[in-house]
Amino acid sequence: MSNAVAKPKDWVPKGDLQKEISAEKMLLELPRELLFITGSEAAREAIKRANIDCAISYPITPQSETMQQAGYLYDEGYIKEYYRAEEEIGVMSATAGASRAGVRALTATSGPGLMRGMEAISSWPGARVTPVLLDMCRVINTPLAIQPDNIEISFLLNTGMIMLHAENQQDFFDYTLAACEVTEHVDVTLPAMVSVDGFFVTHARGPVSIPSDEYKLNRRDGWRSAVPAMDNENPPARISRDAPIQKSNFISYHMHASWQQEVFAALERSGKYFEKLLKGRIEIINPEAEDFIICSGSAVSQAREAVRQEGENGRVVGLVKVKTLRPFPTTSIVNALKNAKRILIPEFNQAGWMHKEVCSVLYGKCKANIVDGPRVFGGMTMPTEMVIEWLAKARKDFP
Amino acid sequence: MFLQKNLILTRTEPGGQGGYQFLYKIGQYGVSLGSKPQEEIQQIHWEADVIRYTSETPLQYEVCHTTELASKTLRFLNDSTLNEFLEKAFNYFNELEALEKMLPGE
Repeated sequence: MSNAVAKPKDWVPKGDLQKEISAEKMLLELPRELLFITGSEAAREAIKRANIDCAISYPITPQSETMQQAGYLYDEGYIKEYYRAEEEIGVMSATAGASRAGVRALTATSGPGLMRGMEAISSWPGARVTPVLLDMCRVINTPLAIQPDNIEISFLLNTGMIMLHAENQQDFFDYTLAACEVTEHVDVTLPAMVSVDGFFVTHARGPVSIPSDEYKLNRRDGWRSAVPAMDNENPPARISRDAPIQKSNFISYHMHASWQQEVFAALERSGKYFEKLLKGRIEIINPEAEDFIICSGSAVSQAREAVRQEGENGRVVGLVKVKTLRPFPTTSIVNALKNAKRILIPEFNQAGWMHKEVCSVLYGKCKANIVDGPRVFGGMTMPTEMVIEWLAKARKDFP
Repeated sequence: MFLQKNLILTRTEPGGQGGYQFLYKIGQYGVSLGSKPQEEIQQIHWEADVIRYTSETPLQYEVCHTTELASKTLRFLNDSTLNEFLEKAFNYFNELEALEKMLPGE
């Protein structure tokens, strides 16, 4: 027996009272109010305005609070369907199913949960479904911890999905709303993951300016899509997108190749939308500098302060903040760093995935010495002075 | 929302622990305000120190636990009590600055 209390007969879902607008208007035109809220609360505020049809949750630290908040939003009528699934494979499969049926679907997870759902997640881009996955990064490798570490991002870089990496609470709000719309453009039709470094952002308060909750994004039109939504009233015996692919023959190889080429072409096409909604896919500070720091996520905040302190001491240091990891803003990065002499790449993970990314795009296009660090992981902190020490060492090593 | 007047710097917590630091300044004195991550949202609180600036460029300060305002790091659980303290501190710093101006120059 359910203990849930039925809504009164005259109850109106609060989402029904919101006015639908575009992401461009939501993010770039509406007046905003400044709040001081946690990353989890920023996610809640984004979800409230995202016109989500279906949210599916499974708890894992440090994500749990966000989907708990989504549950409250469901109760208030901002989300149309919400439930807790059995575990992450179930979450990611059901989220894809909801999206395939033509509605806007959202879920969230962290570290090991992301790894558990990986099989389903990696099938999303090829299935051309458009869910938005909020990813609060944490340690996944042994010794296990619940502390911030974003190595999990490296596992998804080649899936074909859109990947954004938020620096702070404000980004987490803005990027989530941008992702909800961009995924659904006909020439994109891809899933998106919005990552943020757990605890540093999710469990800390930061300044976030947000538009009124009288507004929400335009609803998803499931038929306006690169592939048709599934009619769940008359479901096919077998999903037509995969049947020919799963045969081992010459045609199937070609189909797979051309299908994947189109997935990654669609990924590149999403770039122009983020360019507009996020006011550029990179942010550059001190473009004339010879010493540059390039990074994403909360490493940007530490680097930003290092740049400020270096400026106070008369040393000009540039900063490139990467907002979209996929599509990777290759041209913008090459242009920003073409005259750099020394490049530092601070990261919160053992793998150094951003270092590898930057080296691969700058190869043959930039003569700078690229320093592989500073790098911390497993929950270690990256004090500003560590970045400044690495800058000093780079100047000494590469005069 | 906490007070924005006299706020001269908003930055990430420089020690790398996550969260933010806010520096207020009136004359040579000010308040360093910090908010760090906590496991439970209700545990998040403000930590405030009265500070005395020793340099403007580069911006440097020392913690000052010898004023009548506070002899230790203060903790505030909500914005309204914090803002009460900040208003009191701003008035105190203004008076202090006026008094210091009355002292004969060295």
